Amino acid sequence: MPAEPVVLTEELKKHFPSKAGTVKAVDGVNLDVQPGEIFGFLGPNGAGKTTTLRMLTTLIPPDSGKALVAGFDVAREPDKVRLNIGYVGQNGGSDRPAKGRENLILQGRLYGMSTADARQRADELIRLLDLTEFADRIVHTYSGGQRRRLDVAIGLVNRPKVLFLDEPTTGLDPQNRVNLWTQINKLQSEGATIFLTTHYLDEADALSDRLAIMDHGKIVAEGTPEELKREVAHDCVTIGVSDWKESVPKLVETLGERDFVLDVTQEEERLKLCVRDFAAALPQLMRLLDERGVKLESVELSKTNLDDVFLKKTGYSLRDLTPEG
Amino acid sequence: MKILTDTGLLFKRKMLETLRNPIFIIISMSTPIVYLVLFAPLLNKLVGVQGFNSGHVLNVFIPGLLVIVAFLSGLFVGFTMIDEVKNGVLERMRVTPTSRFALLAGRVLRDLVNMTVVVVFFALIAIPFGFHLNFFGFLVFLPLLGMMLITTSSFGNALGVILGDEDKLAPVVQGVNLPVILLSGMLLPMELAPVWLQVIAHFNPAYYCVVAGRLLAIGHIYQPKVLYAYLFMVPLTVITVAWATRTFRRAIS
Repeated sequence: MPAEPVVLTEELKKHFPSKAGTVKAVDGVNLDVQPGEIFGFLGPNGAGKTTTLRMLTTLIPPDSGKALVAGFDVAREPDKVRLNIGYVGQNGGSDRPAKGRENLILQGRLYGMSTADARQRADELIRLLDLTEFADRIVHTYSGGQRRRLDVAIGLVNRPKVLFLDEPTTGLDPQNRVNLWTQINKLQSEGATIFLTTHYLDEADALSDRLAIMDHGKIVAEGTPEELKREVAHDCVTIGVSDWKESVPKLVETLGERDFVLDVTQEEERLKLCVRDFAAALPQLMRLLDERGVKLESVELSKTNLDDVFLKKTGYSLRDLTPEG
Repeated sequence: MKILTDTGLLFKRKMLETLRNPIFIIISMSTPIVYLVLFAPLLNKLVGVQGFNSGHVLNVFIPGLLVIVAFLSGLFVGFTMIDEVKNGVLERMRVTPTSRFALLAGRVLRDLVNMTVVVVFFALIAIPFGFHLNFFGFLVFLPLLGMMLITTSSFGNALGVILGDEDKLAPVVQGVNLPVILLSGMLLPMELAPVWLQVIAHFNPAYYCVVAGRLLAIGHIYQPKVLYAYLFMVPLTVITVAWATRTFRRAIS
């Protein structure tokens, strides 16, 4: 896809002073987002995702480096960037004491549309995001999921070249999350480009065409979810064996020396083995267990998920940090 | 002009909010009434005392009260601002090409309208109680009240954006509130105060407005003290609005 990227950054940096010294919130980020894709930005809270997003949406100026959004420099031409982007912050952005439709019309007017155009655009978005039922009610009365859909609609009023969504499903119940995912996919099928941050692995996996993993202000991995998984992954199997206290440590030692094994670790009383090719490795594993007279008690095959990628790249598991994810 | 269109749009948004929830106007009207009924009678015996020699006691008391209405109508707006910061409304608008000045001005104008309604209502209902209102003097007094409101509303909104938290805002606002009211001479004329308090009062914008308001209410328009009030309030208003606009431009909310 050699089209011009909608978002392009080079060595983007933002540092904040703090009591304990400078916090390198964003420390040299390079990324590109192509038109029409959903780009996921995955990382734990505090990784620098939101700070990056704030720079890309002109809310804060970068300290150094360059960022082009919709072809314009965020530092030098923020007004032109603003005309061409949509943004839905973590806290939404809809005005609670007003009606949903009023929110949409006001947003259009703030972008310089005529009242008639703003009304028409509001109608379109109400249809697109299924807001009809509650569009003429005061936002205070909305459920979390309804409000989130309105927030997204507000972000789309100016037909942005790229829509930024900061943690779009945080705080939503599972049903509303899936509902919003459907809406996001629908937007993409209508041609939207979407840049979203999330700390949910399943969300990044389900939505993104490509994703970047961020940790401590740096991007530690980038690619399609499949590429990233393939890079770390391998077929893994977790086995439980008889007499584990004695046999597992010994097996770990022996298996560590074998060619077909990529990685072997003891997980409490079980043993986790990752191999390049499961079909080739399986007979060898069985033979070894046989030779040692170790009886197999349980077998569990595991598919690689993004957490494995995350663990590999950062040294810790995202799941440990975000119990709800 | 985008700046005017945006100000108009955002003013309409806030005004609609007030009209849907007029309870706030009613509450702000009730405060002066409480003063009028429960406090003003205490002053009746003070006629003739220093600072009260201008006829009816309400001619001393009401102008001060109007200044305080203007002062308070703006000072506490930071709390609703914080709501909007927390709900991402300000951030959402800052990502659009909306004029930063308009983000502030739309809100301040709404407060100005609310205040004017309350002040006029209040000046009128005080007349049957014995308040003598000079029409032209009142016309010269209104801009002073307006500037007082613009100053406190801009200050309150900017503080809300900077602090972003009700628990931090409350002590600051209260800390400003009480000394300004006490040193305005609104409850009792500052002529009764010892010199050191009078000196401090001269740093208080509300003091100048109260003094000018008392003269204006009885029609003394061409007085140096009226001029002083304007000389104090015009730069103060300009500086506060400029500072608050800057805050809206830079806010990391």
